[in-house]
Amino acid sequence: MNRTPPQTERPKITVEHLSFFYGGFRVLDDISTSFGEHRITAIVGPSGKGKSTLLTVFNRLWEDIPGVRMSGRVRIRFGDRWEDIYAPSCDLPALRRRVGMVFQTPNPLPMSIAKNVAFPLRLAGRRKPGEIARRVENALRAAFLWEEVKDRLDADATQLSGGQQQRLCIARALVLEPEVLLLDEPTSSLDTAAAGVIENLLIHLKRRCTILMVSHYLDQVHRVADRITELADGRLVERAA
Amino acid sequence: MRAEWIIESLLRAAALASASVSVLIFAFMAYLGYPLVEKGQLGNLFTRPWLPDQGLYGIYPMIVGTLWIASLALLFGFPLSLGYAALIQLTTDRKNAFSRFLRKVAEIMTGIPTVVYGFVGIFLLVPFIRRWLGGGSGMCILSAALLLAVVISPTMILFFTDSFARVPREHLRAVDALGGRPAQKLLYVVLPRSLRGIGCGLVLAFGRAMGDTLIALMVAGNAVAVPGSVSDSARTLTAHIALVTAADFDSLEFRTLFACGLVLYFMTTLTVTTVGVLGRRGEARRP
Repeated sequence: MNRTPPQTERPKITVEHLSFFYGGFRVLDDISTSFGEHRITAIVGPSGKGKSTLLTVFNRLWEDIPGVRMSGRVRIRFGDRWEDIYAPSCDLPALRRRVGMVFQTPNPLPMSIAKNVAFPLRLAGRRKPGEIARRVENALRAAFLWEEVKDRLDADATQLSGGQQQRLCIARALVLEPEVLLLDEPTSSLDTAAAGVIENLLIHLKRRCTILMVSHYLDQVHRVADRITELADGRLVERAA
Repeated sequence: MRAEWIIESLLRAAALASASVSVLIFAFMAYLGYPLVEKGQLGNLFTRPWLPDQGLYGIYPMIVGTLWIASLALLFGFPLSLGYAALIQLTTDRKNAFSRFLRKVAEIMTGIPTVVYGFVGIFLLVPFIRRWLGGGSGMCILSAALLLAVVISPTMILFFTDSFARVPREHLRAVDALGGRPAQKLLYVVLPRSLRGIGCGLVLAFGRAMGDTLIALMVAGNAVAVPGSVSDSARTLTAHIALVTAADFDSLEFRTLFACGLVLYFMTTLTVTTVGVLGRRGEARRP
């Protein structure tokens, strides 16, 4: 049933025979597909059927969960090189710097706004204050948050509203200039206005990266997504975008 | 409603009873120690040496001995415990079996009677220290502190691991998703979030170190003199109480024990209050 995407787009991620198991339960069943570069692909479908799991396949975040197993091949094209992200030679921290993720509930770290956005740079060992300040500003601008926080960068990030916190998390994911952005129901904890801002932001962001997003809201998906695919019974079924 | 009232009253009575026990102990010690004050000895308690034959009952050497041994034990035990707890935290990320094993070992260590450590210390540690110092009996502050460090470490380890485990999962996931390595996660997120727990564990361990009797009694040498260095023999307040009780029951010498008890009581109250204040301040800061 897996329809190949239109020929005009260049694939960024390819998935071959991907299966995923929680204990004895098969969540993903022999999925083969590819995701186009600079596209927003929305994954929809009923809750608890493995949509979030599918996202974590692309940054290998599922690996800490006990009792899960995966088979198949996942490749991502960085520049002109295809990289098998499950190959033993794959550098996991480096992969996660190029494949950013934003979660359902905003999860800013207990530190200031500026430090939150600078945190990935610190993890990556970047220390030049000038470079950090410049990149933090760029990321906050890209996440439509700069104007709201530029006068209080040293304030605690938990003081921000829910929508601002989520945009902060997007800025934090963007600061390393990832090529792929994974979004797990990024607006489900927000009100309509805040969700609207983020939808608008996503459409802008696809110029910078390839976006895979899980969402419950069909109207939202129709507003922002270039491709809609439904996860049902472990398989992906294409829907009209 | 009625059953609830009965249960509440019962629980309140139980709480009052156990709280009054500690007040009663305090009153009891004050009452029995009163003859010291009557004979004008109280001030001398903290200044005079301990020379019962001459009627001098100063407990100052024991206070100094207690503080030396407890502080050194903390100095040795703290880095060890923090490292151990960090190792448990780092290994939880990969495979649970090893970190569960480490935790189990720490739990079992809390259950081993102190006398066993003391006994092992006399046969293994004391001869080693004796050779290393090149003289003396090997029964000294250093031996007691090293052994006591082993005794109090499990308390700290479990306290530290528990406070590490309280760091919200979302924070850890955030660091994981940003490509943080386990050591970075520990250093940048887990440790800063656990400072309060680490502080509480430290203070509690200090309290335990001060309250421990057997280790000092068995390996510190029990000399009644103000120690000048870690290779000197010393006596702690608790060991002093144990030693005098074993010999005597009704004399002025015996009365001084109540002063020892009061000093210990005061020190313990101070540590418990510190833990309480640390705990409350941490709660207030949490949004």
